[in-house]
Amino acid sequence: MKLKKNLQEILIDLKINDHFKENIVTWKTIEAKNAQTVSLPENLHPALRESLGSKGIEKLYTHQKKAYDNIMDGNSIVAVTPTASGKTLCYNLPVLQSILSNPNTRALYMFPTKALAQDQKSEINEIIQAAGMDINSYTYDGDTPANIRQKVRKAGHVVITNPDMLHSAILPHHTKWVSLFENLKFVVIDELHTYRGVFGSHVANVIRRLKRICRYYGSNPVFICTSATIANPLELAEKLTDEKMVLVDNNGAPSGTKHFLFYNPPIVNKPLNIRRSATLEVRKIAGELLKNKIQTIVFARSRVRVEIILTYLQELVKNQLGPKSIMGYRGGYLPTERRRIEKGLRSGDIYGVVSTNALELGVDIGQLQVCIMTGYPGTISSAWQQAGRAGRRHGEALVIMVASSSPLDQYIIQNPEYFFNKSPETARINPDNLIILIDHMKCAAFELPFKADEKFGNVGTQELLEYLTEERILYQNGDKWYWMNDSFPAHNISLRSASQENVIIVDQSDVANARVIGEMDRFSAMTLLHDEAIYLHQGTQFQVEKLDWEEKKAFVREVDVDYFTDANLAVQLKVLEEDKVNRLEYAEIGYGDVSVRAMATIFKKIKFETHENIGSGPIHLPEEELHTSAAWISLNKSFTEMGQERLEQGLVGTAHALNHIAPLFVMADPQDIHVIPQVKADHNEKPTIFFYDRYPGGIGLSEKIHMGMPEVFAETMKMIKSCKCQTGCPSCIGTDTVSETSKNDTLNIIEAFINPSVLNEVVKECH
Amino acid sequence: MSLKNKLNRLKPHISGGVQGVTSKDSPETSRVEIPYLSIWEGENVTPYYMDQDYCLIREVKYPLSQKHGHYYFHDFLRAVEIWNKQPINHPLSAEGHTAEELFFFDTETTGLGGGVGNTIFLLGYASVAGDNLVLRQHILPHPGAEVPLYQSFLEQVNYKTLVTYNGKSFDWPQVKTRHTLVREHVPKLPAFGHFDLFHAARRLWKHKLDRLKLAVVEKDVLGIVREDDIPGYLAPMIYFDFIESKQPDGMLGIIKHNEIDILSLVTLYTHLTFQLCGLDSNQTRKEYFEVGRWYASLGEKGEAVKVLTKLVEGSDYTSLQAKLTLAYQSKKEQNWEISLPLFLEVADAQDHQLSPDACIEAAKIYEHKIKDYKLALDYCLMAMEIAGSTKVSDPKTQQQLEHRLKRLEGKFAKFPR
Repeated sequence: MKLKKNLQEILIDLKINDHFKENIVTWKTIEAKNAQTVSLPENLHPALRESLGSKGIEKLYTHQKKAYDNIMDGNSIVAVTPTASGKTLCYNLPVLQSILSNPNTRALYMFPTKALAQDQKSEINEIIQAAGMDINSYTYDGDTPANIRQKVRKAGHVVITNPDMLHSAILPHHTKWVSLFENLKFVVIDELHTYRGVFGSHVANVIRRLKRICRYYGSNPVFICTSATIANPLELAEKLTDEKMVLVDNNGAPSGTKHFLFYNPPIVNKPLNIRRSATLEVRKIAGELLKNKIQTIVFARSRVRVEIILTYLQELVKNQLGPKSIMGYRGGYLPTERRRIEKGLRSGDIYGVVSTNALELGVDIGQLQVCIMTGYPGTISSAWQQAGRAGRRHGEALVIMVASSSPLDQYIIQNPEYFFNKSPETARINPDNLIILIDHMKCAAFELPFKADEKFGNVGTQELLEYLTEERILYQNGDKWYWMNDSFPAHNISLRSASQENVIIVDQSDVANARVIGEMDRFSAMTLLHDEAIYLHQGTQFQVEKLDWEEKKAFVREVDVDYFTDANLAVQLKVLEEDKVNRLEYAEIGYGDVSVRAMATIFKKIKFETHENIGSGPIHLPEEELHTSAAWISLNKSFTEMGQERLEQGLVGTAHALNHIAPLFVMADPQDIHVIPQVKADHNEKPTIFFYDRYPGGIGLSEKIHMGMPEVFAETMKMIKSCKCQTGCPSCIGTDTVSETSKNDTLNIIEAFINPSVLNEVVKECH
Repeated sequence: MSLKNKLNRLKPHISGGVQGVTSKDSPETSRVEIPYLSIWEGENVTPYYMDQDYCLIREVKYPLSQKHGHYYFHDFLRAVEIWNKQPINHPLSAEGHTAEELFFFDTETTGLGGGVGNTIFLLGYASVAGDNLVLRQHILPHPGAEVPLYQSFLEQVNYKTLVTYNGKSFDWPQVKTRHTLVREHVPKLPAFGHFDLFHAARRLWKHKLDRLKLAVVEKDVLGIVREDDIPGYLAPMIYFDFIESKQPDGMLGIIKHNEIDILSLVTLYTHLTFQLCGLDSNQTRKEYFEVGRWYASLGEKGEAVKVLTKLVEGSDYTSLQAKLTLAYQSKKEQNWEISLPLFLEVADAQDHQLSPDACIEAAKIYEHKIKDYKLALDYCLMAMEIAGSTKVSDPKTQQQLEHRLKRLEGKFAKFPR
């Protein structure tokens, strides 16, 4: 009889088993760390002391104490701590202490998702109930029953919500929340690092509105932020809240031993340098672990990938564990489904979960032993967050990052020191993005009239107020601007997605009983929910029968096929306005506004297992237009010796490589910034590479690229050169280029871009 | 590039809501000077000044002998009298109030949803004073003049009870919201009770009206005919136009619309009272049944039985409904002797809608109280038969019935009579 292996045995197996050990290119052991503690604050309320005691807490970790002292002194703080370091006590302690000494005190907790809010309510209520304190804490979200909403508004000491709810339900109805806003002493912003990019820029404006309403009711709350490790927590917190912050990063929490493995799948096609698919390798490793009933979380980068891996794994272990013991978890599932999965993980009924980055956040799923990443998650910060899912508190844990063939993955896996030593990415937001700003100015005007000299953000309001008046949305009377429109502005503005409207996915397998099974943002829907697309949901395949673009509905029916679909997006770009141009001897570096037009063109059917192309079809969807900001670099050299075709392929190769390296520099999801080449750019007729923000108006990513252009190109060159292939492969310049000379041409082109004299000039210009 | 140019280019990405009103010249200078004052005065509108600002108040008096729809305004006095004479516990009862204390109230706003930014620009109400029904409307002449608006409104009103149409969930919360914004400057909002006629209308006429908008009730129930009425949904547009142009014309249409709404509330309250107290000779059996059912759900047993018993005679659907409602009422009081024959009558009527439930109830009584499992089994089978022959029976009921049947078969086998 075969005995089940435990984690120790698995670790030994990985070290000696030929199937695995050859592919493990890095094995880093992160040593366990002891706790650093100090005694509880002396003036701590006896009830609170008693409650902590009943949970076995007699001392505080050093970071908890520093947070407590600063908050009690009235300072806003940002605490940076790893997963499971007791960060919740950083805010619960001072908040509860303040409520105990003055029952009128109110606190608002904001979590990025409803799931986290639910978790936190249980956690804070445990502390409250342990000592029978008379403190009410409630969640307030879309699920809150109407009959207790009134109670939450009037009597909730701690109101736990999410930014979307704050934006569309609380702030626009602030008159129903007078007792909260008059007495608001604390605003807690957990998972600060998630508020970056477009979402963060929106949330910064929601906070501007919150502070504006607080001022109206005469309160001036302290902000308490907690964040996972990023390069600039202090800057992000200050930019998001517009408050001076104290950084708390003296983490005193203990942690167990962690084995961090880089796993590079074997090369299966030497000439093309193609490696075995990461998905298939993950199936092998995860299958092994799950067969031994070792609780494992598998992360995948896209929703489709999650569903594919899930299908594989459920198939693999269905006889031993039953299909329900491995579940998928991602955005697009309905909340009840998600709650069930979270519970199953905590109770141990579910052994494995396959997730998108949705589970990076602090949703409480208990301690898992192993974390497997299917490909590099895109940012250092994200990778550490995912790794934190394994072995949250004590004991040994295993983290395996399986690289894909993508240039970024190969760069990371071949440069482990980059990953382990480099500080994580900088989180960027641009609250003054005009589109985002103006949307929130509307909401703010709806909430309270604007006064003539009032500030909102860093852009003068005068001109914006005049614009909104001309647009017949505001009405000026004397020195005040009033909302004068019959709409409810917050309902038309979504914080989460670039496009305003999501596509609803309707399952009509049972004609009489059609039901909504999920939703997707419009841009993703173009390539994932087009007619005939195979859409995967909890491992079940659905085919899209009709995508009603007007009504934003995709009608799907369950099918059983052996392929998935992959769609192409054709992109056109035009420069509208050059804001900055540096004309150098060899190149021209610009930054400005561009118009991007994207259209889904065709899709391919790709067979499971072999991943071969077994058919294709056209996609008939209207073009989507985007006005945004972009950075670009144009060559003055004409490359006549190379010829038009080779130049074009070289540029495509360059763009392919840049597309993967660029996100490294701007802590963006890879889909937030795009790179496209043009042999002859419309505006200057030169070979040009564009980097643009995938959000109307831009969110500052391409601006950062503009500043760091030489560095981006230098790293890209290094990546291509270190690739072992001969003439170009998916891991460096991609496979869209087919000729023998592509790789060399690409390198020549990049060299021209970073011609030493150009480089020097650029560096000089930029500093 | 200037911000405005940028904004204009980004326009397609900026979310909607671009119908509103421009004000190019600030009306600063015309603060105390009231545009088109003579037109306003011709419409019984007078300004109410406060500090540097003002609002407008329209006042109209109607003699109580005036008819609006099927009723005279003085019928309303009778309605109040009726409630005060018979102590029935009912949410619309005016017991303890004089007619003068009732306050018929309706607002006009710049939006349909709630939220702080939805501005109330007209507060209208009517109440009885002497031989007249006095109607007053407080009008917001421009955004920002809310202090005089609420000040004048709160000064003039002297009431204990508010009568509205859906005011409980819309008008009054909105008044509270807007009042919060000026609460530093004007008196506190009084707390008071509330008669919401919308809920009453829904109870009584849901069976015959598709929509329960006040305009529909007016036309189909109250016999009120509106001439040249401006539909309420245009109110925001007209108001935005008014604050720009200051021209009273469009506003006068909205004011008229609001006035009829309020007068109709008086007629509606009167009619509802007559319905509830059985004084309307044109009342249909269906309406009367809804009245009985309402009393039953309120726990006004005496009234419910009185009304429903009158409906039991006959063999129409309404009489079956009345029997079933009475049967349930007796069941609640554990009065099996009365409820069983009523359930049986409804069961034997073989009505697709009502009989299955009656069969099940009869089966329950036979099973648990009388312990006659054979009869219980019979009625359970009958329920299945009737329910099975209709297409509408829901699977859950079917399942429960099958479960019950199985149990009864077991019991019957064990204890045959």
